Amino acid sequence: MLKKYWWKALSVIILIYVFIAGMTVPLSPGIERVAPTSVRTGDEVTLEVLGYNSRYDEGGQVSAWLKLDNERALKAESVQVESGRRLKALFRIPEYLPVDRKVQDFTLILDNEKDGASVLPSAVFVTQDSIDPEMGQKAWLNSPVQDLHEEWAMTFPFRNILSETIRNTYFHVPLWFAMIFIFIASVANSIRYLRGGNLEADNKAQAYTRVGILLGILGLSTGAVWARHTWGAYWSGDVKQNMTAIALLIYFAYFILRAVFEDPEKKARISAVYNIFAFVALIPLIYVIPRLTDSLHPGAGGNPAFGTQDLDNTMRMVFYPAVIGWTLLGFWIGNLLHRMGRIRLKLMDAL
Amino acid sequence: MKFPIFALMEIFREIGHLLRKDMQLELRTSYAISGILLYVFSTIFIVYMAFQKIQPDVWNALFWIIILFASVSAIVKSFVQESSARQLYYYSLANPISILLSKIIYNIVLLLGLSLLTWLGFSFVAGSPVRDTSQFFLALLLGSVGFSITFTFIAAISAKADNNATLMAILSFPLIIPILLTLIKLSANALRLMQDTAVQNDIFILLAIDLMLLGVGLALFPFLWRD
Repeated sequence: MLKKYWWKALSVIILIYVFIAGMTVPLSPGIERVAPTSVRTGDEVTLEVLGYNSRYDEGGQVSAWLKLDNERALKAESVQVESGRRLKALFRIPEYLPVDRKVQDFTLILDNEKDGASVLPSAVFVTQDSIDPEMGQKAWLNSPVQDLHEEWAMTFPFRNILSETIRNTYFHVPLWFAMIFIFIASVANSIRYLRGGNLEADNKAQAYTRVGILLGILGLSTGAVWARHTWGAYWSGDVKQNMTAIALLIYFAYFILRAVFEDPEKKARISAVYNIFAFVALIPLIYVIPRLTDSLHPGAGGNPAFGTQDLDNTMRMVFYPAVIGWTLLGFWIGNLLHRMGRIRLKLMDAL
Repeated sequence: MKFPIFALMEIFREIGHLLRKDMQLELRTSYAISGILLYVFSTIFIVYMAFQKIQPDVWNALFWIIILFASVSAIVKSFVQESSARQLYYYSLANPISILLSKIIYNIVLLLGLSLLTWLGFSFVAGSPVRDTSQFFLALLLGSVGFSITFTFIAAISAKADNNATLMAILSFPLIIPILLTLIKLSANALRLMQDTAVQNDIFILLAIDLMLLGVGLALFPFLWRD
């Protein structure tokens, strides 16, 4: 029993782990908002900082920097902690900046003992009235970012636009992976049917396609929820969304085609041919067209894919099991559908 | 079939015969081709009446939509115009690969003629915003090849069903979208609606998709024709 069905138990255990870990592990402290976001040179500015999951009041002295580049930064004159999530940092912006640009963005870095360092890229934009890099070089009081506290806790990284929706990485992305695996298995079974004429293979192919469509719809809807939070709308006509909708149409057509034929042999043969043809036609749809067009999606239109910066080691501990878990669950559902289909074929005396 | 080269020559000979047969059939029952032509011209006229003044970007979209629908209705009959008994006779005479290839080649010529006529007719009523004629012609040629390969294969599938016109549309429209989008981009470039420096890239992608679909089609067709 356990020898045969261990993978089903494994998928359940993994998915329980994914849900618990993915939903309960907190995000690391981060900076949610800064005001004001644009200042002028020569200003003495008090930045009001709103932190996320931060404990400014517990962690001793908070240091704050406005970072220009890897060598140059301004340290806050004073930092006044108001609560765990709020603080005020006073910065004195020099008259001239050591850059030859009119508007320069600064990265805000906060650091204390309890939270470690947190970063908000392009937090503040400084506009200079007159550009003079040499004067700026002289006037610049450099105080490099140093003595940062290393903090280690079981957390997921805080990304400014994503914030809590980063947990969708364990649902949206692995569901896609699982869908691709399932569709590959379906095509493999269609090829097996055409080579051997075994109706069971075709039955498996249709069962896996059903599951693939289910996973595709789930992937699309989790993606839409994510898009609502990051891009601003559930459906923004992004090329990835459109191509996915078309891919689903192709597979819906597969079932229309199956419904047309009465004779199981003919149904199996023609839908197997269509399944293989459609899968090949799907490759440019999913892998070529989105790369040609601008897209908001990570991994297209110049946006980095997940994996290099956004997937840290804590996330990997959940992400990779999630891929395995969703795939196994998909094959389990496919297996059940296959058995249902086999009973139906037996009733028709086709098997 | 001792040497592959002889088999290949055999296929070419068969394709030649089949093409001549298709051509004669078309000319003898000329209502099919004139029906398609009338379909195209009435669509062009309806579009012109509805829009009156057509902007170049709208022209581009409408042109390809007209071509798309005309192609589907031209190709859907490929495998149903002759009785199934006669089809069986052909299959016993010729290699299935030559049958599919001859249909594809025939449809490429048909679609190319059809799209040139559509271009002519549409330009006549709505003016032609085409700036780069050779590039636009290239788009038409690549479009005919891509449409012909995809639609001919889908026509072979839907010919197996009774209600094949509906099936043809739902099966082929989603599949043609990658080709159609790339074509619209290519022809938008020929209309100077956008400046694309990587036109070769688009052409290469179209050729790659065409070759891929042709390869799969040829590999799968022998499983399809048997009944």
